[in-house]
Amino acid sequence: MEFKEVVGTRRSIRFFDPDKPVERDKIQVILETARLASCAVNAHWLRAVVVERDKLPPEKLQMLKTPVAALALDMAPVHIYFFVDLGVVNRIKGSRLKELVDTGALAPTHGWSHKFVDDFVYPQILEPMTKNLEGYIAAACADAGGAAQNALLAAFDEGLGACLNTPNPMLTKQVFGVPDDWISLWVLLVGYPAESKEAGGQRPRPDFEELYFDGEYPKPFKRDPAVVERLKAAKMIQAPAPLPGRTEEIRRLAEQYDLPM
Amino acid sequence: MTTVPQDIAEYETVRQWAKGLAEQWGETPEMVQRCATLQSFVELVGKDPDTIIADCTREVESGKRIRIKARREYSAKIEEFQLTVEGEPRKQSKAANYVRSFFIHNGIFMQAGVSG
Repeated sequence: MEFKEVVGTRRSIRFFDPDKPVERDKIQVILETARLASCAVNAHWLRAVVVERDKLPPEKLQMLKTPVAALALDMAPVHIYFFVDLGVVNRIKGSRLKELVDTGALAPTHGWSHKFVDDFVYPQILEPMTKNLEGYIAAACADAGGAAQNALLAAFDEGLGACLNTPNPMLTKQVFGVPDDWISLWVLLVGYPAESKEAGGQRPRPDFEELYFDGEYPKPFKRDPAVVERLKAAKMIQAPAPLPGRTEEIRRLAEQYDLPM
Repeated sequence: MTTVPQDIAEYETVRQWAKGLAEQWGETPEMVQRCATLQSFVELVGKDPDTIIADCTREVESGKRIRIKARREYSAKIEEFQLTVEGEPRKQSKAANYVRSFFIHNGIFMQAGVSG
């Protein structure tokens, strides 16, 4: 799929075919895509534990369920638990930034040098940043969130369905035995959709000009209808929900999987 | 033992259930079988429908809150109820889902396991 179509086709899929396994190579593609995400100071906070639902002991699967996501965890054959490794900055001490200098991504043209990283960036910015835990966690989670978004889009590009959920952070750490300085971020549920790929249509969004500003707040960034038409042609902007037949689709899925209506 | 002193369909929460079903599915719901199922459940629990829903919520300054423990207990009761329903598993889970639907359309979030 072209990029714009992937963005437009992504939905939070909540009805997975529970019995259709996901190919391991597709999971690897998802992880490879997360790894290539943009990342502040090249730290790479995101970690992932990939779990095949049917290989999880039932008591562990039960522990992972939250009231809101219990059904989705049951339906999705693969769960990718994302964590944020808070210890990474003080382990690598700016070394990955220096890799960027070495590869020419960060150049003297923009003021970068190994010495700048060693004398200033790590000791005076990064290391102190990790001590301001509230701000540090927010920054690390935001960064890891971007990588998780890459992973989410990759799932759709691979013809799968996926949905990000928030697991119980303490129980998730306990179940997977991750290091103490990892914090739980999200679980990406992955599988083949049992619902149509349209999944009822593109979800409602706030008005464009309510969200984005031009030069200053509150001057809206004007939405150009011609651009909208171009994005419709590229299948990025798709028919909005609810599509005709969605109610019948949910009814059929409820019957198929014995779900309450 | 029954503690249901009136026709079950007349309870406010049962009316709300019917209203929610109609709004969700765009048609007048069949309530006879649903109410009969709910009647069996309330008899098992020993409380009327309005009391059951009231058990699951509490009022706080900022509004209504769901009582997690009560919801969990009723969720377990539904599973217990399911096993008491005569018939094949599909019929049992349908009955349990009728009861879950009653909770759901009264604003008490509840999910079933997956089968089928």
